[in-house]
Amino acid sequence: MTSRAPVSPAEMLARPVTRIRLPGDPGSTLTRSRAPGRIVRILSSVLVAGWFLLPFVPLGLWAFANDWSFPDVLPGEWGFEGAGSAIRQGALPALGNSLGLSLVVAAIATPVGAMAARALTFGSVPWPRAVGLALLAPIALPPFAAVMGLNVILLRAYIPPAAGLVLVLVVMALPYTTSTMRVAYAAHDLRYEEEARTLGASRWNVLWRVHLPLVAPALSRAAFLAFLVGWSDYVVTLIVGGGEIVTLPLVTASMAAGIGNDAAVAALSLSAIVPPLVLLALAGSAWPRRGQTTNPALRSRGEQE
Amino acid sequence: MSQRLRPQRSVRFSTGSPAQRRRATLLVLPALVPAVFVVVGGVGAAALQSLGLMPLVGPGRLSVDAYTGQADDLFRALGLSLTIAVASTVIAALVGMGTALLIVGGRWCGRIVAVTSAATVTVPHLVGAASVGLLLADSGVLARVFGVPPELWPSLVGGPWWVAVVAEYAWKESAFIGLVVAGTLITRVARFDETAALLGAGRWKRFRFVMLPLALPALAISSTIAFVYSLGSYEVAWLLGRTYPEPLAVMALRLFNSVTLTARPEAAAAGVLTALVSFLIVGLCFWALRKTAVWR
Repeated sequence: MTSRAPVSPAEMLARPVTRIRLPGDPGSTLTRSRAPGRIVRILSSVLVAGWFLLPFVPLGLWAFANDWSFPDVLPGEWGFEGAGSAIRQGALPALGNSLGLSLVVAAIATPVGAMAARALTFGSVPWPRAVGLALLAPIALPPFAAVMGLNVILLRAYIPPAAGLVLVLVVMALPYTTSTMRVAYAAHDLRYEEEARTLGASRWNVLWRVHLPLVAPALSRAAFLAFLVGWSDYVVTLIVGGGEIVTLPLVTASMAAGIGNDAAVAALSLSAIVPPLVLLALAGSAWPRRGQTTNPALRSRGEQE
Repeated sequence: MSQRLRPQRSVRFSTGSPAQRRRATLLVLPALVPAVFVVVGGVGAAALQSLGLMPLVGPGRLSVDAYTGQADDLFRALGLSLTIAVASTVIAALVGMGTALLIVGGRWCGRIVAVTSAATVTVPHLVGAASVGLLLADSGVLARVFGVPPELWPSLVGGPWWVAVVAEYAWKESAFIGLVVAGTLITRVARFDETAALLGAGRWKRFRFVMLPLALPALAISSTIAFVYSLGSYEVAWLLGRTYPEPLAVMALRLFNSVTLTARPEAAAAGVLTALVSFLIVGLCFWALRKTAVWR
């Protein structure tokens, strides 16, 4: 979309016409006013962007408000007392725990999901439909219901809370990684790998030099989604973690449930928003956009969808 | 392209050589085993607990007391959960469709909408709930901006209409739906859209006969995911809702953490009910989309 001219032919032809226009017809679509459509478009974009940005406003204000008494529209005194109070509540170790947990979940769920997706796309998996459904099923599973039941099993099997937590979160991330990678493998041309094998590359070489580079953008998307599953989770960490693993959402929740912690809650919330946004910005450069990739195997993905 | 894909797809349904089957099975198992363990084990254990067959102490005894003893509460909680989920999903689907159309429209309008919705998707629901609370509470930022004293501000947070809860779900899920629908539209819509425009279709007709049919499967799937998410989510309703009546997840977690011995089966019963309704709704979505190519 990015390489388009400012006004595409579709845009010019998009004026309301009552019948098919033919060459030689009087008048021209070029002379029609484009203003109303444009204004509606810009207004609705502003409205939708505002809808998405509005909840970020109180966070940005409260996080740096030392003092903000009620009727005032803006904080009376700016500062970092909210962040200080959040750190006293254990925000830093919680941030570390959150990062570690999410990275572990992404590191497991991404390759496991990719392998399953590859087998489902190219391999001869027995009962492929049932397997595909089973890998999507966690999306329909209410997390609190699953962990209330699993908690007893995990306790009786003496599985440590951290391992149980990673297990459940990996499973919750699998639908996202598997479906992302299935889309990628559907557009993946196995002949590149066969060609490399014919030319004498070892299986290992093919994996590292041909297969992984070709699916790398999809892998980064899948890993990002899996990271988000671990990063956003509250209820699984609460129940399966059993209070041993305190992540950022847990600290935020305990502060938000109290009264008068608004600045600390906002500071904690901001620290929970920034890392995924940084990752998104990093991954954004790796995500293929139409007309930007030069790799034919990647470019063809858009055509097949 | 499609000619190249077709042989590969047919391979999936053929049996393959035993070695190929073994290899494919080995590749699938690391994902399949934990998924089945968590889904079947989780719901199964919850079902056993709710039927009194897996008590914390003492011998198990089959009973449906956990369901019949609190049937009224369960139905009230289910009704509330469904209402919240329907309200937030309808708003999210409408806003999400608009978001997708703006993104697909491209240029800087689409770029800004894409960036803001992508940023929203990354926000954890708990953080979203905290920010919506700071925004909509009676001493929140909106009340300050409009200069409304707390006693006159409608009780959006913790009020009878669950406005803040619905708003949070609608906000987060509209971004999700928008990106999913835009992702499917952006790959193929340009050519169809241009063709339709070339054939003389106006804005409305192109939306009605090109965009909407192309978007519908993705819209249905993402809305269903958003719906079951809001149905089974705990933290938003816990933080922004009121204590009575309570949605299924809040009820289940309150009972789960209760000290009473009968509370565990009752908590599990609420969990099993939520899981059944979720799977039923996803099943309905699958059934409705069975003739489309979405699930391949």
